[in-house]
Formats: sequence, structure tokens, C-alpha cells
Amino acid sequence: MKKNLQWKIILVLAVIALSVFLAYPPGKKIQLGLDLQGGMHLVLQVVTDDAINTETDQEIIRLQEQMKKSDLTYDSVIKSDERLGRIVLQGFDATKEREVRDLLDEYFKEWDNSVTGSNATLTMKATAMTYFRDQAVRQSIETIRNRIDELGLSEIPIQRQGGPTGDRIIVELPGIEDPDRVKNILKTTAQLEWRLVYGGPAQDQETLLLEHDGKLPLEMEILPGDPRRNLGGNYYLVSRVATVSGKDLRDARRSYDEWNNPAVSFRLSPEAGRRFYKFTSDNLQKPLCVILDKKIINVATIEDRISDSGIIRGFSDPDVVDDLTIALRAGALPATIKYLEERTIGPSLGADSIRKGLTSIVIALILILAFMVFYYKLAGVNAISALVLNVLILAGALAYFKAHLTLPGIAGIILTIGMAVDANVLVFERIREELIQGKSVLSAVSSGFSRAFRTILDANVTTIIAAIFLFQFGTGPIRGFAITLIIGITASMFTAVFVSRLIFDVSLSRKRKRTKLSI
Amino acid sequence: MKYKFVALGISVIVIVIGWANILGGKGLNTGVDFAGGTLIQIRFKTTFPIEELRQALGDASLGSSKIQEVEKGEREYIIRTMLPEDALDQELEAHVLMGNRVVEALKTQDDRTAADSGLLDLNIIERDALRNLIAASFPEQADAMADAIINLRQSVELKGIFENFDQLQSAGIDPQLLETLKAETFLGSMTIERRETVGPQVGQELRRKATQATVWALIGMLIYIGIRFKFAYGVAAILTLAHDVLVTIGIFSLTNREINLPVIAAIMTIVGYSLNDTIVIFDRVRDNLKILRKLDFPSLLDTSINQTLSRTIITSSTTLLTVVALFIFGGEVINDFAFTMIIGVITGTYSSIYMSCSLLTFWKKIFKPKKGLGK
Repeated sequence: MKKNLQWKIILVLAVIALSVFLAYPPGKKIQLGLDLQGGMHLVLQVVTDDAINTETDQEIIRLQEQMKKSDLTYDSVIKSDERLGRIVLQGFDATKEREVRDLLDEYFKEWDNSVTGSNATLTMKATAMTYFRDQAVRQSIETIRNRIDELGLSEIPIQRQGGPTGDRIIVELPGIEDPDRVKNILKTTAQLEWRLVYGGPAQDQETLLLEHDGKLPLEMEILPGDPRRNLGGNYYLVSRVATVSGKDLRDARRSYDEWNNPAVSFRLSPEAGRRFYKFTSDNLQKPLCVILDKKIINVATIEDRISDSGIIRGFSDPDVVDDLTIALRAGALPATIKYLEERTIGPSLGADSIRKGLTSIVIALILILAFMVFYYKLAGVNAISALVLNVLILAGALAYFKAHLTLPGIAGIILTIGMAVDANVLVFERIREELIQGKSVLSAVSSGFSRAFRTILDANVTTIIAAIFLFQFGTGPIRGFAITLIIGITASMFTAVFVSRLIFDVSLSRKRKRTKLSI
Repeated sequence: MKYKFVALGISVIVIVIGWANILGGKGLNTGVDFAGGTLIQIRFKTTFPIEELRQALGDASLGSSKIQEVEKGEREYIIRTMLPEDALDQELEAHVLMGNRVVEALKTQDDRTAADSGLLDLNIIERDALRNLIAASFPEQADAMADAIINLRQSVELKGIFENFDQLQSAGIDPQLLETLKAETFLGSMTIERRETVGPQVGQELRRKATQATVWALIGMLIYIGIRFKFAYGVAAILTLAHDVLVTIGIFSLTNREINLPVIAAIMTIVGYSLNDTIVIFDRVRDNLKILRKLDFPSLLDTSINQTLSRTIITSSTTLLTVVALFIFGGEVINDFAFTMIIGVITGTYSSIYMSCSLLTFWKKIFKPKKGLGK
């Protein structure tokens, strides 16, 4: 046997060994896509406008403070309804126009301002807007990741879609049995706040304002009671600024109050604890409310000083408390979240798909085996060996790249089996032609392979081009299909050209003068 | 070559009929993926005839839902509900609600009575909740028993639904626990095996992306063939492919099958596959232009096609064998994909043999390239 033949054999054996090593046992090494193992695929959209609005609200408070510090008076500061990220400052002393302009230039660098007479408009700069939107998406991803961790799931891929300016998030959760609960937990904004209550409850907003001559004082705000709790249908007049909020939380757990109703027990950071202690000392016997996502869930009188821990009452369902504590521990979402797409597949359907997919693969293999042996005799066996090796390499590569095997992926494997044979067929047909022209077996094999190679290359590259574009455009299962197709076709070039040739060479080298080829 | 006008005629007729149907007739049956909507695959505990199903949905004013039976036996169905066209601005939540309405509409009176009296549905209950339920009376066994029951329910044999309490015995649970379960749970009439909801926004986007991917793939191939062969071959190949795609979509419209994401994947694959055939023939043409210089162009094309004919047919047969295996044994989810592949493989083979070379001769007649078509 020739030296270089030996090396080739070693190479092929090494490839086999590597593939088996990577893919065995397949149950553990090859990861299944959601459609095969069951689970939930979610596409969420972060409503980043919310983040811009929040930022604008905070800047309005800062503007009020700065104006006060500089002893500048004005009629009102409001958020513009017409345009996102715009603040309108009205009715300051027109003679102080210059001071106002200086103040805006110095302290509000993220905003473009235009000052005319006694009015000014601030518009958030485009760069700042992009920044806040991006931050909102990043923070949302972080929060969602935390919540999923809290649910006891790990290594969940969370992707941002659409590059650095994209506002979409893809979450893939395997093996979920209660999709609705998970969806609710992920979606809860979970912005928790403690604020003072100035008035209420009242049936409508006008009643609340009677005490204040029908005008809403600047430092106050009207919020509704949570309809799911017994505060429904009522409105309260509360302070605009929160004393303590969800950001100050260090921990939140389910517990029970004195009457054995479910409650949330919380612990604050030391700094927030001191703040809360001072605040409750100053406001003893006044009503305080707990607000969750802009709805009041509980109102109680401050009976005692509270420092860094306490409980929130007002719940009836322990499951609601559980889900809320999960969301609170994981942190609040900076913006509202919408679901754009949702796919849930039950585990039994997945198992069924695997079984049917494997059946199809086996049947396809047998059919092709029968066909090839019938048509090409011994050379058919050669092709089948190459084919089996191809599937082996495919399995190894899938395991190595940690690609998920999906149902379309299985279809990709079956298709690869059908198409991989093509390379063999091209070669065999060429060899037959050469034999008919009267060439010797050795030279027919040799020129058959070399002439067919160019054809195989051209034909396969185009299929790979199609697969690459498919990969670009697709998500989840479709990508799985594109990947198996790309790997399978690449592997088929190796197996059909290199391995199959080697098998011919080895069998021909044994007998010096071979005049017949079983093809 | 002599059949080129016949072949061209047949193709034109198929395409015209198919597309007339798309534009003027039934239109394309775009699935949930592209139109937006909800797809629910439900398995029932006992047989539920399709007429009754239609009736139940009709009563809940969900009459426009499409119902498709999965396998024989009247127990498993795929139901698709769409929001009306003018509701494009609706949020995904609207679709989810539609889906919930479907599920509500199909519940039996027994389901409602049992749920109202506080019993839990053993066919829906999740692992944690079942564990809590068992732990109340059998704390030590709770974990193992809950796992055994859920795993049994999810097994391939039961497909997510218990038909009666006797089936629980093969999970190896003790008789006392079985009694407890009988007292505190009931076996609901259905289980949801799959649920897909796509918002209209995403649907539109997927449609755009699918078109883009197909067009870009075609351009990519045009460039590759242009480099490896000649521009004329590229154009002929791309027209052949466009033909395949048009015929496939046309047949889809005629058979009223649904176009979804896997089908698009199949169409892309056909593009690659059909090109494969075409290139093998062109490759021969390229070779023969060097060897058989004396032959006139049409006979040279004929020779090339005949030389590669056995290969083309063998490869198509093997591929066809595999996709037919997939079509028959692959199950409902992959069925549309397999169907597309079958049409595609057939049209792809046919077009490579009859169309691609005809297009080359047309090119030669129209543009009369000075250097010929060799390279």
C-alpha cells in the first residue's frame, strides 16, 4: 500500500473518531431546539418611548429645582403632548430671559433650547434620545434575565434583535409547562413606590381637587386604586415624588400578616432605611400608600417609625404574591413591554416530532441504500459508506457548534442525505462514461473524480449560497435547517470526493491488475 | 431541444393559471406566520367530530377559523384564527384573546362544572402545582409522584392527555394517592399541544424578509455563475429558478395549502437544488464547447443534456425518495415543507432539462454574443 494512502486512511479514521467523540451520546451532546423539546419562543418589544417620558419627567423636576435655586419665577413647566421628549416652560419674567437662557445652557446640556420672550421650549437631543432608548433595552434585557433566573431556569438565551438600535428581545424558554404565568411575570413592570397620601379615596378626580380650588398642586398627583384589589374604582391624591422605591429594595419575600393573609416582606438598603426612618418619623399618623405600576395597592396610616424592613399588605392570592416578589427581586422594567410573537410547543408534541423525524431519516437511508446498490452494485456500497460518514460528521458538527437541532433541521438532514448522494452519482456517471470510452479501470476512476470535482463544487456552492441567505433571514427552527444544510453539503464534498475516492483506491490497490469495476 | 416550445408552453400555462388564481381567485393561503393570527393544536380526550367542532366555534362567532384534522381519528385538530384585515394595528394581545376564546368555546359542560367546584384539571396542571397538591396528603412522595405523572402524561404514547384514571397506574402510583387524585382532580377534555401567535407587525416583517432573502439569494447565485461561467448562463439559470418558484407558489394557491416559514425554507432549498441540476448541465456545455467545436449550438446543448440525463434523473429520484419519506412519515408539522419539496424537486428537474438550455439558445439568438458562449 502506498504511503500517502495510509495517511489518508488515518485522516478519515481520525474524522470518524472525532465525530463520534463529539456526538456521543447524542441524547446529551446534541441540543434540541424548542420545537423538539417543547418550550416557549417569545419576541418582545420594549416601548422605549416610555423611557424617554420617564427621563422627561425627571428633568422637569430638576428644572423646577434649578429655577427655584436661581430665584426665577414662572407659571408652569409641562411635558409637551405634541412631541416626545419636549418640555415647555411658560410665563417667566421676560426681563430675565438671559438668566433663563444661561441656566438652560449650563444645566440642561442634553437638551436643545429655544427661548422667546417669557416662554422656553426644551427638546431632547437626538443623541440623548438614542442613548436613553438603548439603555432602556439593555436594562430590560438585564431585568428579564434576572426574572428568568428567579424562576429557576438557567442558561436561557436572550437576544437583542435589530442591532444596537433594535428594540426587540427574543427569549427562548425550554420546557415551560405554564406559559401564561411566565408571560405575566416577564411583562410586569414592577415599579414599586411608597408615597404620602394627601386626599381620598374619592369616586372621581374632581372631588379630590375641591380642597385645592379645582387646581392640582404642583407637588401632587392623582392615581387610581388597583381594580384587582378592594381599592378599585377609587382615586387618591398622592405626592408626586416617591420617598422610597423599588430601586431601594434589597430583598422581597412572601410572608403573612397578622390575619394570615399573604403579604410581601421587604428589606431596604441601609441608606434607604435611614431615609425611610426620617420620613416616617416626620409623618407619623399620616396615611402612606404603596404604588405598583402607577396603581395604588395599599393605603395605611404610619403607626410607627419604619427603617429598613417591613411588610406590604393588601393581597389575597398567594400565587400573585409569589410572582410579584419574583419581579421585585429581579428589579423593575424601565419601560412597558409588548409581546409581538409567541410560540409554545408542548413536550409530547416535540417527542412525537423527534420520533417521526428519526423514522423518516431511517426510511430515507434504507431507500437510498437499496437504490444505490441496485443501480451501482458494489460502488453503491461505497456511496452508502460515504453517506453514513456524512451523517456522522453532521452530528459531530452540530454538537461542536452547539447548534440546536430543530424539526426543519431534521428535514435538512434528510434532504442532505438525498443531495449528498448527488456528488457520488456525478462521479460514478463520469467513471462509467470513461469506461465506455475504453479507458482502464485505474485511469477511469482517476479522471472520473477529477473531472466531476469542478461540477460538484459549482453545484454545491450555489446551494450553500441559498442556505446562507436563509440563515440570515430566518429565526429559530429555520436557522436550524440552514445550518444542517450548510454543514451537510460541505461534509458531502469531503465524503463523496475524498473518502469515496479513498475507498476506490484502497480496493484497487490490492489487486494489481483490475480489469473490471463493479459500477 | 425540439420540445422547447412545448415545454415553455406548459410552464407558461401552469404559471398563468396558478397566478391568475392568486391574483383573481382564491388568493394565497398565507399562514399565521405571515398574516398574523393564532394557531392552536388541540388534542381531545375522546373523539370530537369535525362538524361539532365547527358548530362550537361558529356558536362563539369564530366561524371563520380554519380547522384541519391531524391524523385520522377525530381527536386532534389544528385551528387557525385570524384577525380581520382592518385590524392590522391590533396588538398581539388581541390574537391571544382570540386563541383563548377558541379554547373556551371548546370546553365541555363537564369541564366547567368540575372547574367551578374547585377541582384541578390533571390534563393541564403543571408540575409545581401537582407537587403541592400531592404534598398535602403524601409529603414524602410528592416530588417523585408528580414527576412520574407529568412524564407519563407527556409521553409519546399518551400525547399529553389522560383518557381515564386507570392510565395513571402505569406511573406506579399507590392506590391511596389515586383515590386522592380522583377526589381532587378531574380529567379535562383537551390539551393544547402547540400554540403560535404572531402579531400583524411581525407577520408583515417576515413577509418582507422572506421576499428579500429569496431575491438576494437569486442575485448571489447570478453573480457566482457569472464569475464561474458567463453572464448569459447566470441569466438563464436565474430565469429557470424564477420559473420554479413561480410554479411552486402557483401550485400552492391551487391546492390551497398554507404558506408558512418552513415552506419558505423549502422554496429556498428548491432554488439551491434546481440550480444544482442546471449547473451540472451548464458545466457539460462548458466542457463540450471546448471538445465538440464543430457541432452547432442547439445540437451541442442536446448532447450535453443527454450526457447528464442519467445523473439528473438518478439524483432527482434519490432526493424525491427522501422527501416522499418525509412527506409520509414526517408528521403534520413538517408536512407542508415536504409537499413543497416534492413539487420543487419535480419542477426543478423538469426545468433544468427543458428550460435552462432553451433559454441559452434564446439568449444566443437575441444578443448574438461575438465571443460565443464558451469560457
